[in-house]
Amino acid sequence: MKVFLRKLLKTREITVAAFLLILFLIVGAVNPAFLNLQNIGLTLKGSVMYVFLAVGMAFVIFMGDIDVSVGAVLGMCAAVAATMLRSNKSLLEIFAVTLAVGAAAGFINGYGVAKLKIPAIVMTLGTMGVLRGLMFIYTGGKWVENLPDYFKNASQAELFGSINIFVLLTVIAVIILQVYLSKGKRGKYFAAIGDNIDGAVLIGIPVNFMRITAFVISSVCSAIAGLVYVSQVGFVGNVAGNGTEMTAIAACVLGGVSLNGGIGSVVGASLGAVIMNSINTALVFLKVPAYWNNTISGILLITIVVADAVLHSYMSDKARKERLSSRFLTAEAKSDANGGVNNV
Amino acid sequence: MYNLKKLFRWEIALLLLLIIEIVVFGTINPRFLKLSVLLYSINDFICICIISLFVTFVVITGGIDISAGSIIGLISIVIGVTWKIAGINIWLTIPIALMVGALCGALNGFLIAYTGVQAMVVTLGGSFLFSGLSLVVMGLSGASAFEGISGMPQEFVNISNGNIFRIPNPLIIFLVLTIAAYFILHKTKYGRYVFLVGINKNSARYSGIDTKRIIMSTYILSGISAAIAGIVLTSYLGGSRPDLGAEMTMPIVTAVVLGGTAITGGVGSVAGTALASVIVGIMRFGLQMANVSTQYISVAIGLLLIIAVAMRSISFKSLINTKIAKRSILSKDNTKIKGEDQ
Repeated sequence: MKVFLRKLLKTREITVAAFLLILFLIVGAVNPAFLNLQNIGLTLKGSVMYVFLAVGMAFVIFMGDIDVSVGAVLGMCAAVAATMLRSNKSLLEIFAVTLAVGAAAGFINGYGVAKLKIPAIVMTLGTMGVLRGLMFIYTGGKWVENLPDYFKNASQAELFGSINIFVLLTVIAVIILQVYLSKGKRGKYFAAIGDNIDGAVLIGIPVNFMRITAFVISSVCSAIAGLVYVSQVGFVGNVAGNGTEMTAIAACVLGGVSLNGGIGSVVGASLGAVIMNSINTALVFLKVPAYWNNTISGILLITIVVADAVLHSYMSDKARKERLSSRFLTAEAKSDANGGVNNV
Repeated sequence: MYNLKKLFRWEIALLLLLIIEIVVFGTINPRFLKLSVLLYSINDFICICIISLFVTFVVITGGIDISAGSIIGLISIVIGVTWKIAGINIWLTIPIALMVGALCGALNGFLIAYTGVQAMVVTLGGSFLFSGLSLVVMGLSGASAFEGISGMPQEFVNISNGNIFRIPNPLIIFLVLTIAAYFILHKTKYGRYVFLVGINKNSARYSGIDTKRIIMSTYILSGISAAIAGIVLTSYLGGSRPDLGAEMTMPIVTAVVLGGTAITGGVGSVAGTALASVIVGIMRFGLQMANVSTQYISVAIGLLLIIAVAMRSISFKSLINTKIAKRSILSKDNTKIKGEDQ
């Protein structure tokens, strides 16, 4: 029982989900309108874009790398998609080109990091600047407006009563990626490389290939987020996606993806993204002036991460002590302690 | 020895790059070569220069500080609010601003050094927090965030707009800070400790260095430098706005990395950062003078960053192939061990 409880506490997604639930309950207690189904639906709909960004980012962070170019990729892909929409290209063509642009950006990032050995933050910082500029050159500095209605209406479409189609697709995508990551053979490689890159090389994992793959996944997810952005917002401004990389990183961290690499899950990252988005909505319902938003997000991010780190170090300390003292204990206590150790 | 040689060469390369840059922009627009234009151009990028000097310290210890840009906005608001709303003498707001900057840095540093959370995460949270706080202070004081606080006294405005012997004050501030940073990092025991913490944190701890205090102190330094940058920028504009410095994070990191500081820690120099920050700044300024739109400039700076680092890592590798391979594995291991025992 003790072992089970400890395991449950260790499962970061549970903590995150509990936090999300508490957030909703507290805000709901203050303002019952927040718990309205319609509002919950709205909140979820608003977080679709961030979920995609965070999920893509999670793959890169598993490797111990980081991708700060996701916001710029989102903007670039949104601009490409919007211009093609305006010139009445077919949907298939638009999706193919947008995702290809995303994949190309991801490949450049991955190639620089894996083959040229440029630190990830530097490489993606560079591509971020380049893409921001290219987007501006591409759109000529003008907003891309007057998009066809069918694409804008897609974000309002509902299935099975009142479930937004984007939310549904997102949930399916998250589940598929989670299964790929935790059950697929290739998926396990990500965590292995993030945990110990030299070890991964030694046991024959194609490290460079997987690192490039992670960046491609991240950028393709950003491209999808870009499509969502076009559909939900309805126009593409010059600063589309500015600063979203920070929200995505914060979402991953909130969701328990360790920046050291090797730890975390896609589900956690997407829950983190929902939290980041609900905080803003919650503050509106709590009638807190809008200028508090960033302060509260910052305090929450720091508090959760620090609490997590302190809890973890306490746990591992305890486990180490148990391991050391178990040599002198009876066989029964030994097995219990070993159970604890195995779960570290 | 290898490091010394390499750094020496890298700084020479940066100097050449700077000269080429000035010559190229000079041929495009001859007005660019006028001494006064060149000297006063520093007003446009002084903040990047000042902060990157001290963020170098942070990066050498193996951390990163992406909250420095947001501290500028907070400092600007603190100066504005304490002067206009609280009615404190404008000169007294400067020590207050420096203290606030040090406090912000101390908060970052304390959390990073003593709880073992990654620097990237804490300073990310910090950047949300500080940019948010500037809006909160602004909102609570009743001033409009869009208009900001303006009408600062002329003496205060002169800090950045005045000159001594026809050399603009910001340039003097930058030179003084560069010398100070150079002295602290390369000539004192503290500077050696900073390097040792970055090269191998465990061996630094075993040799009796209080690594946590060293790490925390580098963030305080970077917070204070952000406060200085905030004071200079507020004085230059003659008013405070909460969104000042928000987009400076990327140029700062570019300057530090272009200056030859290894993002993994342990290697770096103040002279390199100073030169690189001027290169980044002159490039922005020169492209603007050549009538290139601001947005295009990010392409140039992004490419500059990638090409410079790629070239560095390649030439580096062929020079001392095995040595680097060993080093990188070692440092990677250290971060893992560090992560685990925290």
